[in-house]
Amino acid sequence: MPVSTHLGSQLVDLCSVLLLLCCFAIVAQRRLSACVDLFALQSVFLAATAALVAFLTGHRHIYFAAALTIVIKVIVLPRILRKVIERLNVSRELVMNVNVPAGLLICGALVIVSFFITQPIIPLGYLLTRDSLAIALAIVLIGFFTMIARKKAVTQMVGFLVMENGVFLGATAAAYGMPLIVELGVFFDVLVAGLIVGIYTHRLQDAFDSVDTSTLTVLKE
Amino acid sequence: MWPVIVLLAGPVVAGLLSLVIHRARLLHVVNFSTMLALAVAETALTERVLADGSITTLGTLVYVDALSDFILAIITAIGLSCSLYMWSYMDDQVARGVIAPKRLSLFFFLFHMFLFAMVGATMANSLGVQWVALEGTTLATTFLIAFFRRRESLEAGWKYLILCSVGIALALFGVVLTYYSSVRVLSDVSAALNITALTAVANQLDPNVLKLAFIFVLVGYGTKVGLVPMHTWLPDAYAEAPAPIAAMLAGVLETVAVYTLLRSKVLVDQAISPTFSGNLLITFGLLSFVVAALFVLIQHNYKRLFAYSSIEHMGLAMIGFGVGGFAGTFGGLFHLLNHALAKALAFFVAGNIHRRFDTLEIDGVRGLARSQPITAAAILVAGCALAGLPPFSPFVSELLVVSAVAAQDFASDTVHVGRFVTLAISDEMRSLGIVALFLSFGVVLFGGFMYRIGMMVWGTPPPGSLQGESWTVGHVPVMVIVGALIGLGFMLPEPIRILLTRAVNVIVVR
Repeated sequence: MPVSTHLGSQLVDLCSVLLLLCCFAIVAQRRLSACVDLFALQSVFLAATAALVAFLTGHRHIYFAAALTIVIKVIVLPRILRKVIERLNVSRELVMNVNVPAGLLICGALVIVSFFITQPIIPLGYLLTRDSLAIALAIVLIGFFTMIARKKAVTQMVGFLVMENGVFLGATAAAYGMPLIVELGVFFDVLVAGLIVGIYTHRLQDAFDSVDTSTLTVLKE
Repeated sequence: MWPVIVLLAGPVVAGLLSLVIHRARLLHVVNFSTMLALAVAETALTERVLADGSITTLGTLVYVDALSDFILAIITAIGLSCSLYMWSYMDDQVARGVIAPKRLSLFFFLFHMFLFAMVGATMANSLGVQWVALEGTTLATTFLIAFFRRRESLEAGWKYLILCSVGIALALFGVVLTYYSSVRVLSDVSAALNITALTAVANQLDPNVLKLAFIFVLVGYGTKVGLVPMHTWLPDAYAEAPAPIAAMLAGVLETVAVYTLLRSKVLVDQAISPTFSGNLLITFGLLSFVVAALFVLIQHNYKRLFAYSSIEHMGLAMIGFGVGGFAGTFGGLFHLLNHALAKALAFFVAGNIHRRFDTLEIDGVRGLARSQPITAAAILVAGCALAGLPPFSPFVSELLVVSAVAAQDFASDTVHVGRFVTLAISDEMRSLGIVALFLSFGVVLFGGFMYRIGMMVWGTPPPGSLQGESWTVGHVPVMVIVGALIGLGFMLPEPIRILLTRAVNVIVVR
């Protein structure tokens, strides 16, 4: 393997690890605005990974995905979420289903699990960035866990977006990006989901005087 | 080509038109004529598919074969009857002041976007586009479920948005894994997610990657189908959504979600063997069936009752697909059609009852036979059909699935429990066990279902309640569906039979 690709592969791995670190920081964070900032930071790393992969492989369309990531996930969505936080006047997550230390331990376990799961399929990839697949899976699982562990509507949305970032890392790093039409569609869906959450939390606030989803208990068996 | 264009462009045009029209009557006319145009286009498309086998058009973006055409037929048929039912239902809601007249435009806009997303998911050639469209249905229907803006409906809408988005994000990882397995086999990367391209090389894809991918896809799309244990959003959403929306969610959206699962199953079956996906589907199917039967027993809300019946029937269809073979797959597909019809009928009737009695509690509804005779007859038909009684068509498809299970010789004769215990069970014992479990919970379900519905139909109406039922346009689809449920129980028209047989051939891997 030429030195440049070897170095490139290591750089991609480094970026992926930075994404993973952001996940841990989100799990450890109680301030909602910091969670949103960390998500934006994670998206910056995602865009950097995508640009790096585009540069190393010469697949031009990945630059486009990187640019869209910057616009939608670094600028637009965090802005929507910050507006929601400001309007609803909630700054701290006071109710958590799982406390921070336990949450971090679980996330560590999730990372191990995802390396274990992807172990048999990683050598199949011939791409220089295939190792990122395990990290991508870990990010998806941690995003999933965040949604279960937190109760505020905003953090649940951040969890969803983190999952989406994980999937994108998997798509870009392990398989050089999905076909352009699919990526555009996914970006569109994520953006609309963000807008819907923005409108929806407003209505929840009107109806329940709270965006703590644990007050959503009218419906049960 | 024109049927494809009409099917895709129709809902978009109608949705945009709805935004600028503000007269209720005109909105209904636009809605109904769009659905009529879609139904005509679908009929033309079916003719083409029956003649040519499959159609690939708009570059390689659209792919329609017998399987997708069959699902499209369900979408347009239920959509058409919904558009008629909505005519009387929505006007009534506006007249009562439940929703403001100007919000009707928004309702129809969202409804058409929902329709567009479902048609898109069914016709898309790429597994990725299919995912985008299915997530689109979640986004379009969130506000539809919460349309009445009561606290409960807002809660149901939020739960639906979060659970389905999360579920489906897992499915996207499954799609990425499928892509990962296909890029090194296919030279043209931009086509690496296309169903046509993947099917051609499916036996070269790596089994390990596809196994992992299928598990993600099953959990993800299974959330949308409402399989236990990913079903928790479903009863809330169905109970709180306006009746025609609940009918679309239960009758059509579940069917489309099953379709996306089947597309992955075909690939996995070719790469590995049908046993892997079959066992998973049977497990989830049986679990859904059993859990739903138990929850039916304790329901006090008739819309939730129908919601749990949806989970049960999807479980049944999953068992059919899991067992596979011609009989199982045919039964599963036919059951999707029958379930869509019966469930649309059930929710139409539930809407009628809700408007009259103003309650969703079964205890609050008495003496339907006297106060609303047509609705009472229709709910009896819906109840009997959903409980699997002859002569209604779900009985036929259920019988097909059960006999397929009984006739199945499962490939493996040992069941691993944990790592160290291996139970040696003969093939016959295992399929007989499934049949026995199935039948006994079927009886539980039948009892619970008929008991609850009987309570609503018979007895004396509450004092002072309105008597008699006047004929509205909403009664037309009710009557037509009752006719279809009985008719399909006795004979299967030739075009449907051929289409179903072809669709089975798409799914079954030999």
